[in-house]
Amino acid sequence: MQTITIKPKKEMKISVEAENICPDKFAGKTEKEIQSLEAWVGNQKTTLGELFSIIVEGSAPAADTKILMEGDFSRVKRIGEGMTCGLVIINGNVDMHLGNKMSGGNISVKGNVDSWAGREMKGGELIIEGNAGYYLGSGYRGETCGMRGGKITLLGNALDFVGEHMCGGEIIVKGNTGILPGLSNNGGKIVIEGNTSRPGSEMSKGTIIINGIVDEMMPVFKFEGNEDLDGVTYKKYTGDVISNGKGLLYVK
Amino acid sequence: MELIIKNGAVYDPVNGINGDKTDISVRSGKIVDKVSANATVIDAGGRLVMAGGVDAHSHIAGAKVNVGRIMRPEDTRSGIKPRTKITRPCTGYTVPNVYAMGYRYAQMGYTTVFEAAQAIMKARHTHEELEEIPIIDKGALTLFGSNWPTMDFVREKDMDKLAAYVAWGLLASRGFGVKCVNPGGGEMWGFGKNVSGLDDVVPNFDVTPREIIVSLMKANEMLGLPHSVHLHCNNLGKPGNYKTTLASMELANQVKASKDRQVLHVTHLTFNSWGGTNWGDFESKADEVANYLNNNDNVTGDMGQLVWGSATTMTADGPVQYANAKLLHAKWGNGDVELEDASGVVPIYYVKQISVHAIMWAIGLELALLTKDPYKMLLTTDHPNGGPFVNYPEVIALLMSNKKRQEEIKTLHEAVHARTKIPGIERELDFSEIAIMTRAGTAKVLGLLDTKGHLGAGADADISIYDIKPDQIDPSVEHAKIKSAFSSAAYVIKGGQVVVKDGQITATPPGRTYWVDASVPGQHTSEMMKDIVKKFKNYYSMQLANYMVQDEYVTHAQVVKAGAIPVEVS
Ligand SMILES: [Zn+2]
Repeated sequence: MQTITIKPKKEMKISVEAENICPDKFAGKTEKEIQSLEAWVGNQKTTLGELFSIIVEGSAPAADTKILMEGDFSRVKRIGEGMTCGLVIINGNVDMHLGNKMSGGNISVKGNVDSWAGREMKGGELIIEGNAGYYLGSGYRGETCGMRGGKITLLGNALDFVGEHMCGGEIIVKGNTGILPGLSNNGGKIVIEGNTSRPGSEMSKGTIIINGIVDEMMPVFKFEGNEDLDGVTYKKYTGDVISNGKGLLYVK
Repeated sequence: MELIIKNGAVYDPVNGINGDKTDISVRSGKIVDKVSANATVIDAGGRLVMAGGVDAHSHIAGAKVNVGRIMRPEDTRSGIKPRTKITRPCTGYTVPNVYAMGYRYAQMGYTTVFEAAQAIMKARHTHEELEEIPIIDKGALTLFGSNWPTMDFVREKDMDKLAAYVAWGLLASRGFGVKCVNPGGGEMWGFGKNVSGLDDVVPNFDVTPREIIVSLMKANEMLGLPHSVHLHCNNLGKPGNYKTTLASMELANQVKASKDRQVLHVTHLTFNSWGGTNWGDFESKADEVANYLNNNDNVTGDMGQLVWGSATTMTADGPVQYANAKLLHAKWGNGDVELEDASGVVPIYYVKQISVHAIMWAIGLELALLTKDPYKMLLTTDHPNGGPFVNYPEVIALLMSNKKRQEEIKTLHEAVHARTKIPGIERELDFSEIAIMTRAGTAKVLGLLDTKGHLGAGADADISIYDIKPDQIDPSVEHAKIKSAFSSAAYVIKGGQVVVKDGQITATPPGRTYWVDASVPGQHTSEMMKDIVKKFKNYYSMQLANYMVQDEYVTHAQVVKAGAIPVEVS
């Protein structure tokens, strides 16, 4: 097991691009090597060592690499980008694009995450104990395929467009979400325990289950009658009928 | 400034040079017979030398291209390259930014590229982008096929007015030639409809696509334009459309060429050589199209080769793009250009295991290999419709190596065996034939053979040197080397200046923009303008005074004179 502990050296006001904070990039590297990895502050090139105090214990392949992040990372973007295995534990808040394109491993956040957490992720697990911004598990601008696999669990609330363009995988939101969760979905499953509004517009495939209150329904779903899922009775809808979609929407 | 390229294995089919070790002398941006002893020497060391590449059909600038960029931010994220001391930043793959257009063409040894479609009303935008594309010479073909004035004059059978309108439209758009896209269809798309063949009548105008094509060819030859009419056939994108394509090609027999070139160029034939009646029995009819070209000398075509992976389809054919977007569940950009055609943009991903895509891949190659005379079938991917132009080296390697094709066929949907002839075609093109399809032929079809596409005295000093020794390579076996050499030229000289060395950009001079100034008798123009003034008063959303592209937008103009009456060139 290799454990890397990262703490901010000072308050960061300008956003940091830190896609190098990733088990695959850290595995088997010494403290010095990790400290000298590139990072960007705004348009200035710097190193992880300039921004963070980094302590390494042990040495191991990526699958046995654990990154422990302590403190406020609310201006640090792209943590865990493209990771394939290993573990990232963040005791604080993070900026946008957490775990984007990850295909394996596990990221766990005690605080809040900004927009596009888990965007286009293919596998692995993302657990967020706080709240999420916009586009949780979505595709970035222009992508027609958002989350493709893996699992996101959000204990708090999310803003709009959860799982936009989702093609696979699973998103579970324990709190409420903003408008249009599952917009343009083409697969996968979204479960929202709390309240939301206008779910599932432009869906062509995939499943959305809502256990809270739906503020407003889009008029593009066809009511198919009641159906029981795990002993709970839901109103079942299919759509988006305008685009001939085969998406499933269950509302309690 | 003098330059001499020594020891090159030169392929210059126009001048009958077929791999001979010939020196090429350059003075003041032109190829000359001899230079002084002070000339800078480039030792080609037995490597392949050709004229700079010429592309007669690519979508590199203007409204459609920019719609593609706007609707595909995900494409912009690929191909990102930061600026260097010499080059500006690059982005994109299917819809690169303006700088990448110039650099990437130059790195492949291309020095002249023509944008295949601009509406007159949108031409200012085209020229704003052309101005910013570095290094290469360029020009733009202007759309006339669904313009209201065109259809009015065709119905009235007033060829003088039509010719005057074409001449004025080229001036207004600073355009190089006459493009005709799904004639009549662009107008009908304004009403959510399309034309389904050459003899459908366009409502409100009472003309047929057949009449539009023939009349535009006549006007084109009356004006003696350097290029012929450049046609995107009706029914593109529909199984069985090869019949419409052949019938359109036959129309060329009704018109006599005013110059030593075709009377009709039919473009991106990969999309127009389709048999079958639906997607289930879809098959290649490339053999029929190639056969027609083999037996007729007044028509030329280009491949529009399909390339695996991401592409962005963009065309003035609005209705076909609506159908594509529905079929593919894809993003759809739609444009209406008032009295001048429509347009549409749809991203696509070509997949080896999709039968229709595998067959289309084969169609492009069949066209090139079954057409005997390479002057009649130009190499294009209809960038970015069949795929981005950076894939030309892949296409060259496929044409030069049956082995590569057979390896590829093994990975494709099985339909490629039953519904195309490609598995059984053994022909392998040689360097000379490739030089024709990418240089001499394209320059001839465009009507620019005096200065482009060859290495004889008087030609522009646009020269490419590739890192292959033709006498030491077997392209059939070493196709990977062919592809990599054509991807990244050892030297590219543009207008006498070295712009690429070892695949890297070394200088970024601005290229020139070709446009055609065709004269017609003044009274024809004034008669025609009465109609145009009326159109602006009644229908256009802009004023006639704001319509013309001003010279300020074309700061490196190369004006080609043409016209119904001889003009003094000062
Ligand atoms: Zn085209």
